[in-house]
Amino acid sequence: MKIYDCVPGLEFDESLDFQISPAWFLDGTHSVPPWTPMFGWFWINFCRHGMQYGAEKLSLPTVKGWDWRFKDGGAYLCLLLVKTEEERKQREARFREAIKPFIDDFDGMWNGFKGELLALYEPVKTVDLDKATNTEQLETFEKIIAACRRMWGIHMYLMYGTYTAFVLFENMTRQMFGFDDTHPDFHALTSGFDNMSFQIDKDLLELAKKAKAMGLDEVFRVNSASEMRKFLQTAANGPAFLKDFDAFMEDEAGWRIERMAEINVPSWAEDPTPAFNMIKMSLEKGIDYSLDEERKKREATRAETEKRLMEKVPPEARSWFKMILGVAQNSALFSEEHNHYCELMCHSLIRRTLLGMGRRWVKSGAIDAVDDMFFLFPDEVRKVGINPDMFNMRPVVERRKAEWKGWVDRGNPPAFMAEGFTLEMAMKGLVESMDPIALKVVVGSMPVARPELKADLFGVCGSPGTVEGTVKVVWTEAELSKIVKGDIMVAPTTSPSWTPVFSILGGVIVDRGASLSHAAIVGREYGIPVVMNTFQGTTVLKDGMRIRLDANMGAIYILDK
Amino acid sequence: MDMDCKEIFWLDELSKEYNDMVGKKCANLGELVKIGLRVPYGFALSVKAYETFMEETGLKEKVSQIVEKEINAGLDVDKEIGRMIEMSANIREAIEAADVPPGLAGQISNYYAELQKKTGIPDVPCAVRSSGAVSMPGQMETYLNIRGMSEIIRNVKKVWASAFTTRAIVFRIQNKMPISWAPIGIAVIMMIEAKSAGVILTVLPSAGDLDRAIIEGNFGLGESVVSGEITPDSFVINKKEMFIESRTVSEKTKMVVYGPCGTTVEDVPAELCKTSCIDDREILEIVRIAKDVEQHFGNPQDMEWAVDKRFAFPENIFWVQARGAKYTKKEAGKDEEYVIDLMLQLFRK
Repeated sequence: MKIYDCVPGLEFDESLDFQISPAWFLDGTHSVPPWTPMFGWFWINFCRHGMQYGAEKLSLPTVKGWDWRFKDGGAYLCLLLVKTEEERKQREARFREAIKPFIDDFDGMWNGFKGELLALYEPVKTVDLDKATNTEQLETFEKIIAACRRMWGIHMYLMYGTYTAFVLFENMTRQMFGFDDTHPDFHALTSGFDNMSFQIDKDLLELAKKAKAMGLDEVFRVNSASEMRKFLQTAANGPAFLKDFDAFMEDEAGWRIERMAEINVPSWAEDPTPAFNMIKMSLEKGIDYSLDEERKKREATRAETEKRLMEKVPPEARSWFKMILGVAQNSALFSEEHNHYCELMCHSLIRRTLLGMGRRWVKSGAIDAVDDMFFLFPDEVRKVGINPDMFNMRPVVERRKAEWKGWVDRGNPPAFMAEGFTLEMAMKGLVESMDPIALKVVVGSMPVARPELKADLFGVCGSPGTVEGTVKVVWTEAELSKIVKGDIMVAPTTSPSWTPVFSILGGVIVDRGASLSHAAIVGREYGIPVVMNTFQGTTVLKDGMRIRLDANMGAIYILDK
Repeated sequence: MDMDCKEIFWLDELSKEYNDMVGKKCANLGELVKIGLRVPYGFALSVKAYETFMEETGLKEKVSQIVEKEINAGLDVDKEIGRMIEMSANIREAIEAADVPPGLAGQISNYYAELQKKTGIPDVPCAVRSSGAVSMPGQMETYLNIRGMSEIIRNVKKVWASAFTTRAIVFRIQNKMPISWAPIGIAVIMMIEAKSAGVILTVLPSAGDLDRAIIEGNFGLGESVVSGEITPDSFVINKKEMFIESRTVSEKTKMVVYGPCGTTVEDVPAELCKTSCIDDREILEIVRIAKDVEQHFGNPQDMEWAVDKRFAFPENIFWVQARGAKYTKKEAGKDEEYVIDLMLQLFRK
């Protein structure tokens, strides 16, 4: 049987792709564990499109975005560098104009794009897939494909623009104050903003407070989160609470998916267990705090830091310095908020659409289970979509699923390198590209081991502070429930839907991350220490270990050796 | 406006509408009083006082004769600088030697007596400053620490005489103006006993930054700051949020104080020279007031302040000057272009 590529045209091919770049890096932040074929198709096609579109629209002088390849569920990327000095100069001239909206009115621009995205999502969100005709289902699928393509265009255009400013700002703080983006003052300057993700966390806490006020804390305490709805329906005040809860899911939180860069796990809208769990955890750990007050404190710290540092800036430099600071602050805000409007909403709608079609395909006999949809790719959906009863996709699904399990078991290598090319050479290339996203999200700073500290593990500061606590290694959202107040979460990386747990954490350690990755940004918002790029935190540290985390030094000490 | 043009006014009788009558400085001081600023007590001799003096003493005619005679004798105003200087000296000498007509002298005497009463200080030391109604060469004379009636009169005449500097005469001849025409007023104001003094600009002049103000000050009188002879203390203040963004306390070795007659330069006491000449409270009060004045006049201000050691905060802050500040207007988008340059620099590494 002929099995086509999962991502036709963009599967990694050594013989051709080493001609484009001698090194291809695994996107460890997003494609570990390996993706399903359907999600890989969306990401590789459109994240790739978005980056090249963003780099082109901004006319970045040195880089034309990234090229992406799919290989065994892993995303491999390289940078498309501008080749000639002449072209670089032409791009520079266009950049001068293209970057201006980011300085003049970032909020206005971002608000406009949010509106555009919501309008693209709306028909996909509101269609009743079970009543829709087969043709209408396919049309909905085409709509979410188009929306996803546009989403990545907006996402990467804004990310390139804001991160350019962020890198510039970091350079400025290094020159003027002698610190980089791992310094507490830097974090103070770029945190404490209100945004959509923060809003959801706040409303979740409000719901917990409401549950307590309605006398429902006992219901939450004794029942498991997965069955909470059932028990609430029969409890006094339960239905009233559920009404508020459902409105909250409908308006804000239903979009959350445990793994932002995948579609094979339920969104909160489908399965609100994680939300019930968050409320349960809040009630158990105490709700007598206010996230608004926390944020106001951070706001005050930001204002104070700004004032103090401004004194060190020569008076004639202040107005432009302030301008750079403003754009850098937009970067931090965008970093935290865009996930909601971009990946989370779009990916949960892709999932919703595919599940809707999948239900019909199961009935028609094209596949066995709705989740099998994730082992197809769009051309196959198009092939089958109008007359699912005419096709049997089981053999394709079966083989792809088996392959996918193999990918997951094996894992993917961190890079593919042409012969004679080393990792050092490749890293040097990344840094020299000055690609702001490569620097701030993917690569991050490499930890420097300092023998004099006698620490057991080193990483890079993502959010300052020191703390002692018990290790909880977390690979999936389900494991979040084992965390108790003050624990130090150790994870490969963190996802936006994990954000609420930050309010009870003592600290966070992630294997990979840079100053603008999720764990760092949220850690700074919540004011807890975060260490990133330990590479081996999840293997060295074990559940129950007592450790001391000194994020300022990027050092981790195991206390009960 | 129907205004009675007197020969002498109290400062608090004036406002900017009196510009033509008493000159800019006096009108401005009057305006400062009017908007509630603490200005040292004082009075203004109007342009009319100057004219009365020139006419009643016969100097107006005499000066014209001197000039006409020289010109008739073939004086080339452009080339014969030596003769011009000599002529100017002659005229000024004549003015300074003339007696002020008794009526006018009596008036000055009355006002000065009243000023001594108001301040409670006998022979109250005063600053005698010229106050031109239009921009003309000369007219920049300021005499400090002038005590007693006869000294006041003598220095008032010196200011009037300053209308006949060589340059001023040449200017009038070239512009075919009456030779003795000089719209010059004089401010006679009580000297401040300055702990410290200096200037405030409600704009950063070179950056054209309207959100910030800069204060410069030194111990003693403000002259050392204005003249630029010492490196003053300097403070940059964020006007919007009202905090001190930066401060440079420099080593101030000299200060200007007033002696028995006029001013002298003295060493700043060793224990003081590295300390700030004003405290934060005074700085913020100075900015607060300057902001009000800026708002009143509608443009950035260049103001001279003094902290008088005889009074307690905030009554110790006095204002002696307010005028529109000269500054480089920020070109729109200049910061933005610079920021973009910096961004492009990133990609060039």
